[in-house]
Amino acid sequence: MGVTEGRGATDAMFFREGLVEAPARGDAPAIPLTGDASLDKHTRVALLREEREIARRFEGGKMWIYPAFAFTCYAIWLSFFPLAIMGWLNLPLAFVLSTVFAVGGYVTSHEAMHSNIGRPGSKTRWLNEWTGKVSTIIIVFPFSMARLMHLEHHYHCNHPEKDPDYPDRADGPWHAIYKTWLNRQPGVDGSIHIYKRILAEMGTKEAADSLKDTIRLQLIFLAVLFGMAWSGYAIEAALIWWLPRHIGLSYIRFYLSWAPHHPREERGRYTNTRLFKSRLGHIGSIGMETHFVHHLYPAIPSHRTKEAYYALRPVLEKRGVHCPEI
Amino acid sequence: MQKAVQTLFKIMPFLFGIGFIAPLIAQTMIYWGWEPPLGLSPIGFGLLIGGPWGLYATLRGRWV
Repeated sequence: MGVTEGRGATDAMFFREGLVEAPARGDAPAIPLTGDASLDKHTRVALLREEREIARRFEGGKMWIYPAFAFTCYAIWLSFFPLAIMGWLNLPLAFVLSTVFAVGGYVTSHEAMHSNIGRPGSKTRWLNEWTGKVSTIIIVFPFSMARLMHLEHHYHCNHPEKDPDYPDRADGPWHAIYKTWLNRQPGVDGSIHIYKRILAEMGTKEAADSLKDTIRLQLIFLAVLFGMAWSGYAIEAALIWWLPRHIGLSYIRFYLSWAPHHPREERGRYTNTRLFKSRLGHIGSIGMETHFVHHLYPAIPSHRTKEAYYALRPVLEKRGVHCPEI
Repeated sequence: MQKAVQTLFKIMPFLFGIGFIAPLIAQTMIYWGWEPPLGLSPIGFGLLIGGPWGLYATLRGRWV
């Protein structure tokens, strides 16, 4: 676990806070209260303390919804395969559901990545790990790899070389959608290549194991697709796994990576993520409108970030953060 | 072992063209009742598209 995890993370941020910079926005207060070195340190520290006290009220909650969703969806999705072979499946419906499961699976695994379902050493730790593991199978992105890369993203958010999500940087929404496709092409220096480089730089057993997990899962995925296709179930395989995976990954990349971090120029605690209003609403954007809160406090689960945002808003505004109505 | 896996993934787009795209094209044609041109069988036509397409993706590094 890294410094951005849970309360330890907020403590670390607390001490680090004086080092980060947050440039004033258009509607910043007359007296800037951001991380500028000229600011009154007592004010900044007091604001951060207040911020942390509010944030703590939103950590945890009904976390059982995440494993419940993950295991139920995984079981339903698995049942699609025998049902399709037996000809008992409504394929268009299965396709839509599989795509929803692919996207939703990342959300449930994301809570597990931050150990929000069960902290290390707790009784529910196994549930946290298994929730993470089953959630990302549809998108063929093993939990071990997903967790390592996501935590790297938190440590080095928007760093051109160290943030694994940096290849999602794009000039606008259409360019971002194009990049979600481009970065999955076999010869492009996209996501998987930057993942491999970062894993090699880590050089740990955990990193090596996650790469092995990725190879294994990809080989299983391809074996299932090839096996089903040559047994006469290519359309079924395409609609249950292949297409939902690609659509899901594009959706995830767009909403979980591009939208909240656009334009990926700032690296400060209060500037590396933006607050935005999505045309698809809070649920349609998988809660990413308030992803800013998640980067400040990863222990606040996805379903509570909007609520936490409104509670934190007065403190954030005092600090000079642009806080739109969402 | 590592070398073999690396080689396998290097030629994976080609294998994907033959292993998945070809039968997918063939079965989609059958489903929609499309006749393959030049008197080819559906799977023959699928391989004719999927094989070279996968080879193109292997060599160029992009499917399109």
